[in-house]
Amino acid sequence: MKRRTFLQLSGMTAAGALLAGCQSKNEKLIPFLVPPNEGVTPGLATWYASACRFCPAGCGILVRVSEGRAKKVEGNPLHPVNKGKLCARGQAILQELYHPDRVAQPLKRTGARGSGDFQRISWSEGLALLTGQLTALQRDKAADRLALLTPQLRGTLSELTTAFMGAFGSPYHLSFDLLAPDWLRRANRLNFSQASLPFYDLAETRYLLSFGADFVEYHLSPVQYSNAFGRMRQERDTVRGHFTYCGGRMSLTAASADRWLPARPGSEGALALAMARLILAEGLYDRDALPAGGLGAEALLKGLAAYDLHRVAELSGLGEGQIAEVAREFAATRPALAMAGEAVAFQTNGPEAVRAVQMLNLLAGNLNRPGGVYPDAGSPDGPENSFHELISLVERMQAGRIGVALVQGDPLHSIPPATGFPQALAKVPFVVSFSSLLDDTALQADLILPDHAALESWGDMIPLAGTREGVIGLMQPVVTPLFDTRQFPDVLLAVAHGLGGALAAALPRHSYQDMVKGALQKRVGRERGEGFEATWVELLRQGGLFGTSDNRDRGRMKGYRRVPGVSLPEPAQPHFAGDKQDFPLHLQVYPSIALYDGRGAPFPWLQQLPDPMTTVVWDSWVEINPQTAASLGISQGDLVEVTSPQGALRLPAVIYPAIRPDMVAIPLGQGHHGMGRYATGRGANPLALLATNIEGKDPQPAWNATRVRLTRISAKGELVTAGNTQGSFRSELIEM
Amino acid sequence: MEKITSPYKWGMVIDLDRCTGCGACVVACQAENNVAICAKKEINEGRNMHWLRIERFWVGEYPDVRGRFLPVLCQHCHDAPCEPVCPVYASYHNPDGLNGQVYNRCVGTRYCGNNCPYAVRVFNFYDHEHAWPKPLDNQLSPDITVRSRGVMEKCTFCIQRIRRAKEEAKGEGRLIRDGEVQPACAQTCPSEALVFGNMADPASRAARLARSPRRFRLLEHLGTHPSVYYLKGGGREHV
Repeated sequence: MKRRTFLQLSGMTAAGALLAGCQSKNEKLIPFLVPPNEGVTPGLATWYASACRFCPAGCGILVRVSEGRAKKVEGNPLHPVNKGKLCARGQAILQELYHPDRVAQPLKRTGARGSGDFQRISWSEGLALLTGQLTALQRDKAADRLALLTPQLRGTLSELTTAFMGAFGSPYHLSFDLLAPDWLRRANRLNFSQASLPFYDLAETRYLLSFGADFVEYHLSPVQYSNAFGRMRQERDTVRGHFTYCGGRMSLTAASADRWLPARPGSEGALALAMARLILAEGLYDRDALPAGGLGAEALLKGLAAYDLHRVAELSGLGEGQIAEVAREFAATRPALAMAGEAVAFQTNGPEAVRAVQMLNLLAGNLNRPGGVYPDAGSPDGPENSFHELISLVERMQAGRIGVALVQGDPLHSIPPATGFPQALAKVPFVVSFSSLLDDTALQADLILPDHAALESWGDMIPLAGTREGVIGLMQPVVTPLFDTRQFPDVLLAVAHGLGGALAAALPRHSYQDMVKGALQKRVGRERGEGFEATWVELLRQGGLFGTSDNRDRGRMKGYRRVPGVSLPEPAQPHFAGDKQDFPLHLQVYPSIALYDGRGAPFPWLQQLPDPMTTVVWDSWVEINPQTAASLGISQGDLVEVTSPQGALRLPAVIYPAIRPDMVAIPLGQGHHGMGRYATGRGANPLALLATNIEGKDPQPAWNATRVRLTRISAKGELVTAGNTQGSFRSELIEM
Repeated sequence: MEKITSPYKWGMVIDLDRCTGCGACVVACQAENNVAICAKKEINEGRNMHWLRIERFWVGEYPDVRGRFLPVLCQHCHDAPCEPVCPVYASYHNPDGLNGQVYNRCVGTRYCGNNCPYAVRVFNFYDHEHAWPKPLDNQLSPDITVRSRGVMEKCTFCIQRIRRAKEEAKGEGRLIRDGEVQPACAQTCPSEALVFGNMADPASRAARLARSPRRFRLLEHLGTHPSVYYLKGGGREHV
């Protein structure tokens, strides 16, 4: 045993740390700076490169490890996505590793579902239970009664789960994320016949027009785009990029804009087309771009006749002059860039509205140009309709045709109950959770096989939409596992080998670490043996394979080209759940910058981080325009009941001057029934208010298309803000 | 007595045109400096322990409203109001221009916090032992103490990092290079709004930015001569 390994092992805390069965002995740890053969000097830190898996952006990280304990996470300066920078959530992944309420070993349910009564069992017992269930399915020739629910996976983990489900014989692998960019892939498929995600060249653009794309908080690759935004503003000597934001609520991203257009929810698509029409009518479009897209200006102008300025101004509640001015600025400044985001996409007319925004990029000639839009290299393909997969899986579960559900993540918290998912999951006889905390889903599970924390895990992380180069980030454990946990993919492999047969044949390797290494070896294309061993060490040391898009990738990476003859976008009148009389206010739900979709809730650093716009800590809230609040007799901090056709929630009120008077907004992320001491029972989950069947139509992921009403309950909202509502300085005093 | 001089005058430039208010710096600071986790109740009492906060201002009324952000940390004043009032010299000025705080001298009079116009000093009203239940205490940095109840604490520009860089530079017989040392907030800032450097070196990035015509300092009229320069957000033509 090397001295460093010894120190790492002896650095474990007493409680259960040195239990038998630690899976990885960590002899392969490759530090970032210190050569591996050097010993550890107490007090001197070592840095390990890894990757952040908190959100799909997949930033590279460096972890400072001192005496076998992880101390601090920084961005990896070599990683092309985040370039050494990191967001608040990435900083907090340390607290996933050292969370005091982690599930320390496999658990078997003893009480009723949801009671939280579990019995500690060993891994062999846990695996035997799961294998037993799966063998029973195989014996009954009912392999399709197995369902696997995960967030959207990429890279080796995605290959593993696909192979596992394929060889087992069940097509029911649901990869669903509430915030997944399926809508963007679908729009790109329609417009450009490729489902890749866009890479926006923000840093080089001169005019940014965002339709509800909150790239500072969560949209696609937040660290990458925040960094690019800074460069767009101040990196060029004589150019300061201009930023206009269009959306009914001023988000954190919108607060950095030069101009805010509070358009009525659901009118953004029409607004984009009105701008397009004006640009065409005044001849401000790019002369080469239209023929390249198979379009003629005359025909296009005729096609957009319905979107005249007057009608759209009325529709969106904005001034005609305002819209025209932005359209002219956008067209006259080159390069200019239009982005569409979640606030627009999650409307009933969202898919068409997103295509309408892309039309602006086409007109300004922004496709595949510096300062414009490129296809992203990382994930040329991905789910385009996972919501409908969710609905059909829910139906199957309801009908009792799913016997075993393997669940990674916390879908009970992050899937709106209107889909019927909670009732459907209750009908599944055997639910297995892989959560490392007792989250909402784990509390309903029959068996919990706890996963490693990210900083104990192996893996490859293909960043989502953050770079034009091919990047594979590598995750390596930076400390010896704290508890008796196992990585989710390793559990699948163990089950596959336990079942044998086709499954074992489809997944020949015994450890996920070997699979990741094999995938990298295939990618790098070296022969087995010493040659690759050295490369592998180097890859681990620097944190992955960066900027080496080989020829195969370049062939696949065609630029965007409009499909000739594709129909013009037609954002119809938006529909909303709840009639206007009973439910006068539009509800917008948005991911909180700290807690994301709820994954950040267990981490006290993120709970304590004041929300930038409201400075609220440790809570959720409802944002109300001052006028609306005054008319309802609501003041800051009052307890308010928010009622939708789907349900009601009680939340403290925040008077928010930068939201339309006919709108209210609630952040996502709180309202957990479990997930450890810092998250449990805090705030409310606004997903409970959302409807999916809007005006009798088929279910659709229109998370911003529900209407609500407000009722003041009392003055005791127990709202705590870190800042004075106006700030502790007057802004004119400090000459901002 | 010989006057102690230093080739360094540490300072920071915060470009408000780049700052998006995202809060990454706040968490990075908390992680680096063993800043206690505060419960909702403590924050309600105004006893939040963050060394770095982001002030949010609303300017104007709907629809011509604008949100503005101002990251506020210890300004490391060269004429610091907090220093002369400390009866036990816990608050002192070091040769690098840093406004230091000696925790084991502090007797908790809170005169310094009272006298600070920027309200960036935080006092341990509570024993924060409970803030890191096991195994969360593993994340505590070994480079700095965990402050006990009754002690004033504040931003140090991550002095532990500066010390380390100085030792390394000294070992190689050179001065610290520009960009070699950064506090946790500047290192993590996604939009590179925070730039830290040696103001005594006119060629350092921070010193160059601090000469920008957009520069201003907080409450400059008080004559505290802060080491932190802010660059005005530009081009606010529409509100």
